[in-house]
Amino acid sequence: MSERALRAVAAAVLGVDDARARVVAARAVRLAGAFPRPVAAGLRAAAVTVNAAAYARTGTGLAALTPDRREAVCAAVTALPGGAQLLDALKTVLLLAASDTAVAAMPRQARADRLPARPDRLPARPDPLPARPDPPLTCITAAEWPARTSADVVVVGSGAGGAVAAREFARAGARVVVVEEGRRFTVDEFRRLPPADRFVSLYRDGGATLALGRPPVLLPQGRGVGGTTLVNSGTCYRTPTRVLRRWRDAYGVPVADPAHFDRLLDEVEALLAVAPQPTDVLGRNGALALAGARRLGWRAAPLRRNAPGCAGSCQCAVGCPRNAKNGVHLNALPQACAAGAVIVTGARVRRLLVTGGRAAGVRFGEHEILAPLVVVAAGAVETPRLLRRSGLGGHPQLGRNLAVHPAVSVAGRFAEPVVSWSGVLQSVGIEELHDDGVLIEATAGPPGLVSFVPPGYGRTLRAQLDGADRLATLGAMVADVPGGRVGARTVRYRLAPTDADRLREAIVAMGRVLLAAGADEVLTGIEARPYARTADELAAAAASAAPADLHLAAFHPGGTARMGADPARAPVDPAGRLRGVHGVLVVDASALPTCPEVNPQLSIMALALAVSRAAA
Amino acid sequence: MRTAFREVMTGDVRLAGEPAARAMRLELRAELPGLLHPWMAATAEVTGHVHVAGSGDDPAAPDWADDPAATGILEIAPLRARRIRYRLSFTTADGRRLHLDGWKSIRLGRPVRTMTRLPATVLDDSGRVVGEARLRFALTRQLLPMAVSVRTRTDPPPTAADLLRPRWRGRPGRLEVWYATITEPRTGTGLWLHHELVAPGDGAAPYAHGWTGVFPAGAAPVLARFGPVPWRAPDGPEVYRAGEVTVSADRLRGSAGDLSWDLRRCGGGAPLYTFPRWAWRHDVLPAAQIVPLPAATFTGTLRYGQTVVELARAPGNIARIDGHGNAARWAWLHADLGGGDVCEVVAAVAARPWLSRLPALPMVRLRVGGVDLPGGDPLLGAARLRADLDLPHWTVTGRLGGARLRIDVIQPADRTLAVEYVNPDGSPVVCHNTERAHARIVVERRTGGQWRTWRSWTLDGTAHAEVGRRE
Repeated sequence: MSERALRAVAAAVLGVDDARARVVAARAVRLAGAFPRPVAAGLRAAAVTVNAAAYARTGTGLAALTPDRREAVCAAVTALPGGAQLLDALKTVLLLAASDTAVAAMPRQARADRLPARPDRLPARPDPLPARPDPPLTCITAAEWPARTSADVVVVGSGAGGAVAAREFARAGARVVVVEEGRRFTVDEFRRLPPADRFVSLYRDGGATLALGRPPVLLPQGRGVGGTTLVNSGTCYRTPTRVLRRWRDAYGVPVADPAHFDRLLDEVEALLAVAPQPTDVLGRNGALALAGARRLGWRAAPLRRNAPGCAGSCQCAVGCPRNAKNGVHLNALPQACAAGAVIVTGARVRRLLVTGGRAAGVRFGEHEILAPLVVVAAGAVETPRLLRRSGLGGHPQLGRNLAVHPAVSVAGRFAEPVVSWSGVLQSVGIEELHDDGVLIEATAGPPGLVSFVPPGYGRTLRAQLDGADRLATLGAMVADVPGGRVGARTVRYRLAPTDADRLREAIVAMGRVLLAAGADEVLTGIEARPYARTADELAAAAASAAPADLHLAAFHPGGTARMGADPARAPVDPAGRLRGVHGVLVVDASALPTCPEVNPQLSIMALALAVSRAAA
Repeated sequence: MRTAFREVMTGDVRLAGEPAARAMRLELRAELPGLLHPWMAATAEVTGHVHVAGSGDDPAAPDWADDPAATGILEIAPLRARRIRYRLSFTTADGRRLHLDGWKSIRLGRPVRTMTRLPATVLDDSGRVVGEARLRFALTRQLLPMAVSVRTRTDPPPTAADLLRPRWRGRPGRLEVWYATITEPRTGTGLWLHHELVAPGDGAAPYAHGWTGVFPAGAAPVLARFGPVPWRAPDGPEVYRAGEVTVSADRLRGSAGDLSWDLRRCGGGAPLYTFPRWAWRHDVLPAAQIVPLPAATFTGTLRYGQTVVELARAPGNIARIDGHGNAARWAWLHADLGGGDVCEVVAAVAARPWLSRLPALPMVRLRVGGVDLPGGDPLLGAARLRADLDLPHWTVTGRLGGARLRIDVIQPADRTLAVEYVNPDGSPVVCHNTERAHARIVVERRTGGQWRTWRSWTLDGTAHAEVGRRE
């Protein structure tokens, strides 16, 4: 992305002066280096388009215009078909870039007093609280790993599923090698590096994995030793019994029998030290959510999390700076390494080696590891791609049935400071609508690093950012009708009409909670009607939003190699074995038969535990 | 059908903790069932030579590894598994046993590159990575030698029992010998059982005869003859019969004078071809000697006079000679080096008029760790060796492949029997034989610019040797 083209756009979109725009643009260009080429090209095209619009409208470039005229250009672009999405994409990247510069389009002096935990200050003012030391892990980079090795079991991916499988096989006495595309991150890096830098290195594609569709959805996936558990919110829901019954009865997965699966969940909870989040560090964001729900008479409580020592740093999404959140890099993987497993980092598996209908190992770069058993845990997007690249994509359902949790977020503006980024990132669950598949979670964070995008451009946006410390944010995710498909290079996702309805319902519900908690107004996230002061206005705003107008993020992809007894419907059998080949197990979210309707870490780990324990 | 071929790969190995790589060379001999072709999926047995140079900084540094007795397997499936895997075990200069595991990963889009590059890992017994090797098959230099080395054989290699069967097919002027020499380790007693089939050159009826020598420790050797009796082709498992003296692959029994023996054989190792395999098979030399059971053990009873010796897993061997008769001069050594390792020497001057002027041609086979040295044809190897045949001390010196060899044999007169032979043409020969000889075998390799002892063995009264000459 050209920094020069972006500079003027940054000034126009964020409403900052040229000096600050230069810094933000430089930072955005650097961050975009981690994005996939099509995304980076799209952003470049968007910047060029906005500049072109300025020429078309005024006869001169965006850089030469006054702030008023820049905003007029932005408004004109928004009016174009697709223009709003184009500017939104630019705004998201620029907010991320601005999140850890000292120019985050906010008031100068007052903000310094009001934003105690601003992430851009972290490098200069390290967290005074001590961090839990990193446990020992046997990590070897791919460059140092011999080109030819053999093992008893190769585990592809070190996330929730892969870590558990590695531990189980290593404890059973097998020589286990875990092959991880990302690198190892240490708590020291989490304390030392700015959040945006961590963001682009901790997430696949710099966090810009995009599921194509109307609307396109961001699909963030962690990449590092520990996988997405490095960057998730730490929320640990047990798999609902109704979901387990569905898996057992409709998909023929005996291990999902609630009586049996509950014991596995107990074991995983003990491993992760899952407990309800103490209220002392919830933060104002969580407290307001609890208060709003209480006034409405809705079920709400602090979430069960795997972060027993959480101090409310609100940086779960970019790596906990205190190692308080028990990602699998702090428990299952160290236990696997203690039992002899080795983790090869920076190793993207190109293909599985197959000989005579049987798995023979993996290849990454010029390296090969031979093993009679390959456990695939590369995530719901990468697992089907890897299997296809390996010539194992023959099952017609492989890569289909991608289920995600499409999510929307809204914010409420309060008279008093909330400072939502001071406290637990995801603190409170409101389960009033969970039976309808809608789960509301109080999720907050600094501007640019959360999925809520403030409305407007230029001075309007700047005003919003000025008052960001008074915003409380809620997010809601919906158990969707699986509508995605993973291709060789792209992910496509079609939002089902019923899911769009539930998302609108979720917007209204969240707005009601915020208003009940005392919010002056609700920022709906809907471009056409960004503000609502009453429940009726909320309902009207939500009703007016077409699916393409929703600001969607998508989390928890799964189901792309689903497990089931029916060979025609399920690429993976109930024992976790990939059909059509011997010696391949699938133990990640892709093997989940359906959407688990909750944050899926426990479900994935329990399923991986069952599969690998049976096979070990 | 079996296929054998040779392959040489060169490259380097980077040892853990060392900044610079060391030069490495693999010389392999592979033998696999079936024909060599791209669609195959077979496992070949591999023997070979692993050489890893000393430190690159110091040209005089000794080699890190120079093991001519590396063994392992080669899994060949270039299309079906797209992989050719090499697994070899070898010993370093400091005696560590290491294992090389690597494979060529065949990609159809890059066939030449992937068929000629061999990345491999060197591991120790515990599976710890000791180094990483990158070897390459140099097409320009090695393809032709490899192609030329390919041999196919339709029959399985003959077993010891096959090699022990009589070969005589009615030709006059032939001599076949089955002889066994044994050392009883507790008492130090040596035993020599010599069985002959003689087809006289004048067309007379063939006959079987032989003798038995016992070499007790601290006493004079005892000799007793049996036969001659008319030759009858044996049947069943027996390969030789002269009256009550019989030989089979598993048992030696018989009596001669006041000597009797009944011994059962166990083990023996792979046949050792002291003379080239082709010479034995095609009968083109005046005579050839092989050892079908070079490292056997014998259990049973030996009686001579009033003495009874019980043998319990006593080491020994059974060898064969087939030819026109005895050489003009010869020396023979059989040294059991323990653990299946054997040194066999036959140094001979042919009795043919036009060959008798040549110096003695020493045929040496040194079996170490299952690998027979020198690696090539023993007859060609003999050209680089020299024998000085005398009594009581005779020697063989020279080169054994890239190594330097010296063998000293001492046959004390008081432990040696002088036995008169009769050739098929009627000429007499005297053989001075003892199974209680002394022998010293030293193999040196050149490392760091000087010859250093690689292996050495000293046999104190347990070597089996003889010197024969026309007197």
